[in-house]
Amino acid sequence: MRRVWNWILAVLIGAWLPILLITWWWNASATSENPYFPPLEQIWEQFKLNWFWQYFPIHVVPSLQNLFTGFAIAIVAGIGLGVLVGSSPVATTYVEPIVDFFRAIPGVALVPMFILIFGLDSAMRIASIAFAATMPILIATIEGVRATNSVLLDTAAVFQLPRRRTLWRVRLPNAMPIIFAGLQVGLQIAFIVTIASEYLGSGFGLGAFTLISTDSFLIVDAWTGVLLLGLLGYALSLVFDIVERLSLRWYYGQKKLA
Amino acid sequence: MPAVLHRVPPGVVSTLVALIVWQVVGSFGPLAGDSFATATEAISALIEFLGQPMFWTAIWETIQMAVIGFAISVAIAVPLGILIGLSRFAYRSTKFTFDFLKVIPPIVLIPIAILVIGPSLTMGVVLIIFANVFSVAIQTAYGVRDADPVLLDTMRSYRMGVTKQIRYARLPSAAVQISIALRLAASASLVVAIVAGLLGGAGGLGSLLSLTQSSGNADQTYAIILLLGILGIFVSRVLVRAQRRIVFWSGK
Repeated sequence: MRRVWNWILAVLIGAWLPILLITWWWNASATSENPYFPPLEQIWEQFKLNWFWQYFPIHVVPSLQNLFTGFAIAIVAGIGLGVLVGSSPVATTYVEPIVDFFRAIPGVALVPMFILIFGLDSAMRIASIAFAATMPILIATIEGVRATNSVLLDTAAVFQLPRRRTLWRVRLPNAMPIIFAGLQVGLQIAFIVTIASEYLGSGFGLGAFTLISTDSFLIVDAWTGVLLLGLLGYALSLVFDIVERLSLRWYYGQKKLA
Repeated sequence: MPAVLHRVPPGVVSTLVALIVWQVVGSFGPLAGDSFATATEAISALIEFLGQPMFWTAIWETIQMAVIGFAISVAIAVPLGILIGLSRFAYRSTKFTFDFLKVIPPIVLIPIAILVIGPSLTMGVVLIIFANVFSVAIQTAYGVRDADPVLLDTMRSYRMGVTKQIRYARLPSAAVQISIALRLAASASLVVAIVAGLLGGAGGLGSLLSLTQSSGNADQTYAIILLLGILGIFVSRVLVRAQRRIVFWSGK
């Protein structure tokens, strides 16, 4: 009972500020004559009209498809290469500076390069997303695999565990918390590059819709796009947190015990 | 491996190898052609840029945006974070809202920012502030809350006032968190300054990059991307060093 009360109290304390802000926006904009800040009520009506579900399949689905395809490629490439490189100290010293360099370039700035190579089609978008998102995952995997507890590795060696099993059973599980940190950054970058690739390459997608609305002075439409993009960004990070909590349950359990 | 190689720093070796691979792939690979610049083409385009005043203007504009945006973010977020951190109610009230706003990338706001502010340095600065304020404030507040409870109790039992508690317990604890948050915010400021130029026409290196790409000049496009990588590495090295100097007691 106490726990339930605490939970309700926490929700109430967390909720009053956003409710206040939204109410304030709603009322302050209700009689707005400023063309750039239309009434929130109008934005909300248009939001329902646009995204439930008229434009959803045309603009949101392709964006999400590119995002997840690119991110999936980045996961496979980042973890795969990371394991290869991280298992060998020599490879790590030589590969790390190159990865650091690519990591230092903002993911969005790579999009022009991919536009020159691929033109403005989906391949360009997916390639940009995958490339930019691979870097943080790769760095995290190298770091995680390299930093495996040496006692664990020695134990595995004493029991003459084959290399492959050491990798799957010892190195990878140990690296998982760090890899997940890399995946989180990778997902954020993938989301940003998805939008950027749509801003730069004219055509379909939620980013393109929003920017085209802006250019044609369809301000209410532009606001619905911005709101949906913001909500998507938050939803992605929320889903990621849940997946991480579930996958790393053993790790958080260990941390609690320690 | 030949013995000579051991005396050369690994970074130099891998950079050379990467440049050679880049050159070979760019010349003979399936991508060879006008849409792909080789290493020599990109580097000579970069050297050519160095003699042009508009290139230096672009660098200056990007740095200006990043520094002004960063400074304003810090001036807002750190005092705000300290105030929030001092009250349990304020911390729990703002946590959800700030966490929500913190994960929304500023790139989302660009279409509205173009309308309301117009493509300008100011727009870049505003986007940088949005990118930084919430994460720095929440981390500062966390640092203030995270002060050693035993130390606080000791100070209370000696009847040291709230100001002294803030000065000698809360701030030193928060300083470590703040320094980490500021380092990340400084890198983010540079990135957002570039992105605002590229996607929002805010000027600087980003706008220059958008110009070279839309005119189909692969050599110059690659030259700028190369420069962005070098700039990014340089800035992150400087920041890590600065952090170590400033909060030397953190051991990080």
